[in-house]
Amino acid sequence: MLEYFLPRASSFAGSIDHLFDLITYLVMFWFLLTMAFFFYVVFRFRAKAGQKAQYVTGEKHKEKMAVEIPHYLILVCDLVILIYTFKVWHEVKIDMPEFDEEVRVISQQWAWTFEHAGADGILDTDDDIVTINELVLKKDTQYKYELQALDVMHSFSIPVFRLKQDSIPGRNIYGHFKPILEGEWDIQCAEMCGYGHGFMPARVKILPADEYDAWIAANTPADAANTAYANNDESELKEASNNG
Amino acid sequence: MVGFLASLVAATSSANDEKGKQLYVNCVACHQADGSGNKLLNAPAIAGLSEKYVGEQIKKFKEGHRGGDPRDATGLQMRPMSMLLTSEADIAAVSKYVASLPAKTHPDTIEGGNPETGKALYMTCQACHGADGKGNDLLNAPSLLGQHDWYHVAQLKKFKDGIRGGNPADITGSQMRPMAMTLANDQAVKDVVAYIQTLNK
Amino acid sequence: MADTATATAVDHHDDHGHSESFWSKYIFSTDHKIIGFQYLFTGMAMGLIGGFFSYVFRMHLAFPGSEVPFFGIVSPAAYNSLVTNHGTIMIFWVAMPVLIAALGNFLIPLMIGCDDMVFPRINRLSYQIFLISAIVLIASFFVPQGGFGGAWTAYPPLSSEAEYNGTPFGAPMWLIAVTLEIVAFLLGGINFITTVMNARAKGMKLYDIPMVVWMIVIASILFMASVGPLVAGAVMLLFDQTLGTGFFDPAAGGDPVLWQHLFWFFGHPEVYVVLLPAMGVVIEIICTFARKKLFGYKMILYSSVGLGILSFFVWAHHQFISGVDPRATYLFTTTTLLISIPVALMLFAMIGTLWGGSIRFTTAMLFALSFIAEFLIGGVTGIWLGSSGTDIYLHDTYFVLAHFHYTFVPIAIIGTFSALYYWFPKMFGRKLNEFWGKIHFWGTIIPFNGIFLPLFILGAAGQHRRIAGYTAYPDLYTENFQDLRVFATGSLIVLILFQIPFFVNFIVSLKRGQKAGPNPWNANTLEWVAPSPPPHGNFGDDLPQVYRGPYEFSVEGREEDYWPQNEPDPGPSETSK
Repeated sequence: MLEYFLPRASSFAGSIDHLFDLITYLVMFWFLLTMAFFFYVVFRFRAKAGQKAQYVTGEKHKEKMAVEIPHYLILVCDLVILIYTFKVWHEVKIDMPEFDEEVRVISQQWAWTFEHAGADGILDTDDDIVTINELVLKKDTQYKYELQALDVMHSFSIPVFRLKQDSIPGRNIYGHFKPILEGEWDIQCAEMCGYGHGFMPARVKILPADEYDAWIAANTPADAANTAYANNDESELKEASNNG
Repeated sequence: MVGFLASLVAATSSANDEKGKQLYVNCVACHQADGSGNKLLNAPAIAGLSEKYVGEQIKKFKEGHRGGDPRDATGLQMRPMSMLLTSEADIAAVSKYVASLPAKTHPDTIEGGNPETGKALYMTCQACHGADGKGNDLLNAPSLLGQHDWYHVAQLKKFKDGIRGGNPADITGSQMRPMAMTLANDQAVKDVVAYIQTLNK
Repeated sequence: MADTATATAVDHHDDHGHSESFWSKYIFSTDHKIIGFQYLFTGMAMGLIGGFFSYVFRMHLAFPGSEVPFFGIVSPAAYNSLVTNHGTIMIFWVAMPVLIAALGNFLIPLMIGCDDMVFPRINRLSYQIFLISAIVLIASFFVPQGGFGGAWTAYPPLSSEAEYNGTPFGAPMWLIAVTLEIVAFLLGGINFITTVMNARAKGMKLYDIPMVVWMIVIASILFMASVGPLVAGAVMLLFDQTLGTGFFDPAAGGDPVLWQHLFWFFGHPEVYVVLLPAMGVVIEIICTFARKKLFGYKMILYSSVGLGILSFFVWAHHQFISGVDPRATYLFTTTTLLISIPVALMLFAMIGTLWGGSIRFTTAMLFALSFIAEFLIGGVTGIWLGSSGTDIYLHDTYFVLAHFHYTFVPIAIIGTFSALYYWFPKMFGRKLNEFWGKIHFWGTIIPFNGIFLPLFILGAAGQHRRIAGYTAYPDLYTENFQDLRVFATGSLIVLILFQIPFFVNFIVSLKRGQKAGPNPWNANTLEWVAPSPPPHGNFGDDLPQVYRGPYEFSVEGREEDYWPQNEPDPGPSETSK
């Protein structure tokens, strides 16, 4: 159901959507059944002249069973949801697949800094490309991200990836994603982080391999010792390697 | 009903001409109602700055020409706030209101600066900022009066490191950068700021 | 056990007769009913403030950047402070005082048939501390830099460092206010538990206690057991804010996630602390107006105890994506989905009570029935969030927001209104007007759904909470989504306007309402034995004696369809108790 609002742009977005759908079907079944029964009871047993209410204690075995049996069925539904939940959770948050690219995400009041590993694919080298509020990714590439916070807690949320992870000052948090769709979407902060919390929007740009390589070529710092600026229109800045 | 609500909002907005004062509500939390700034939040005094300078700086923040460097933590805090002003008219209105706020003097917080040495160093500055430090709109030089000394120190260091004025799109900032580089070390920065403080008196 | 009832509360009774001044009668009273009213009116006043806050930020979200009538332009700082204090006020200063303190104080001694709380002076102290806490909170809006704006969960380091949150005075005052409020409720809780255990009327066995009293007692126990870690955490956070300690500062060797554990260890049971009394209220009302015995008294009681115990093992479902060990979510997802069972059991038992009844649609009953329907929506939407897999996506979106408003609004608003319409005759001796009551009911229920159903959609579309306007997000600032936001805001305005008939009805009925006898609804429980309104001391010199359970409606072979707890069994079969 979620793909009606947002496309599935990561490899695990589909799993989360399917779990969402499964829960929707099971819950809506019970919800509608209960609601229908509730309104039926309220309508059928409205006060009528000369009709007295029944005396039912709810303590007899048969009466208890009438309430208990639906709950055993609900319990079975819970188990189904649980098993599928464990599977999805393992896929998104516990499993750490072999990665081809690395990106470091640094959150601070009130901006996102993205350190792309650059041409050599290794972070903390001279050819890293640092951008503010713009994450550029290569389609169909397994990424590993490293999440940091400089001041307070933030939360790195890319709705089209169905990905969210809080960043915590003093910790490096690792995770993974694999973009599978070209396009450009919002990145939001999902944890209250002060006055500017609502105004730290970033964008994720997913490019096909050739365009991505062109972007890398255009933005790689020509001279690592110089704080030269790329000749692109955006405000992306290189990090000067001589002052870490 | 929705239309009623919208018209209610529109009516109360248009009834009030003090657009700039209204919009300034967004700035108060950091820069304070009188524009005197707040050390706790690294917010400079903005009272006493000219309308042109304030407007230009807000536009720079919006476009990321200022506050667009990953190392500029305080500039990055200002940047999202500038996005609250969505139109040229809004920026103009706020700038006008800020310019109407009277400048105030602020106590010294930086120790170890020698105003005597600073006076000689200030020779470089006065070409644009004026001997009295009042600035010059024609040269895009802001007033240096009524500002916190810690803010001057922080900005001079940012200019020196290219954190501010390092973006080629920031033309006036790029002009300031080589000037800041004439200050050889931290002591020189403190000295010149100590001299600027004396201009307030 | 019941014999101690008269002995315990005797000392303050000497001052019955003499004429009391306004101050000693209404302000410094130790009468449980007056203290209940003090809590009720303070809670309602705070509810107006919290409601006004929601009006301001909903208007801002619907018309971003515009001037909100009666407020002005909403700055990001003001927005954060408004949402933070809306949440804080609605939970700590509305739901808790009205549902637990006001109802607990007013109802417990009346329903268990004694003359007052066992610790009347502690009771008075409880309210006075509560009042101070409310004053401290309101004062925090007017200090330099304004009120705290770091969300009601107050996660450090944002809440601990003024450099980050920008409120060097607002944040500590907020924290002190919350801590004082908790102290007030600890004192109240001691009183409720002791009173119910020791001061019950002669003959009232544990299974004869009305369900609402049980629920308030269980809620008090839950509150007292869960609040310790929060108080400890609050003191640590206060030290971090004011003394510069580093309990939650990673640079000083602290851990910011520790606060989340301490907060949510309290925060989740807190949901059930306010839920259970509301459920108790609804149970009393549906039994009376369906003229039915409660379906499965013991089953409901044990479910609520089980619910309470289980609620201590689910707290980390608020922290699935907050950086706790990802393997921990296996445990917390399981317990979270299991907790749906006792809640569902209680709702099913309520519907079971309606089955075979003779339902009278009074305003109180309409509110009680709508509680069941609306709370069911709040309950089932919790499944999406309790499942850690979907929570990755839905965490901190408007889906969460809509979910918990579908639980808290039925609890705090609908539950309170049903209680007021039901017990108003007992409180003030007159009935509320039923016609205006029904207008108020429909004017509350329909817009309530109009506010929060669109927010489910926005949440599913990935809109996050606590964001002061979506103008910066191209994916979210679309015409369709903005229409939904405007619709939700419009519904809120309608909801607020429909509270005017209620307040007018309330004030007019105080003076001119239809006079009510001691038992206008033909209910069974002991509070309906006392005169309406009950005098200081409640039942006079003859405390009632209990012969049966509270829900003996429509017993076969009886002329009347109700059978008050204090009415002796007829004929020779009367047992000597």
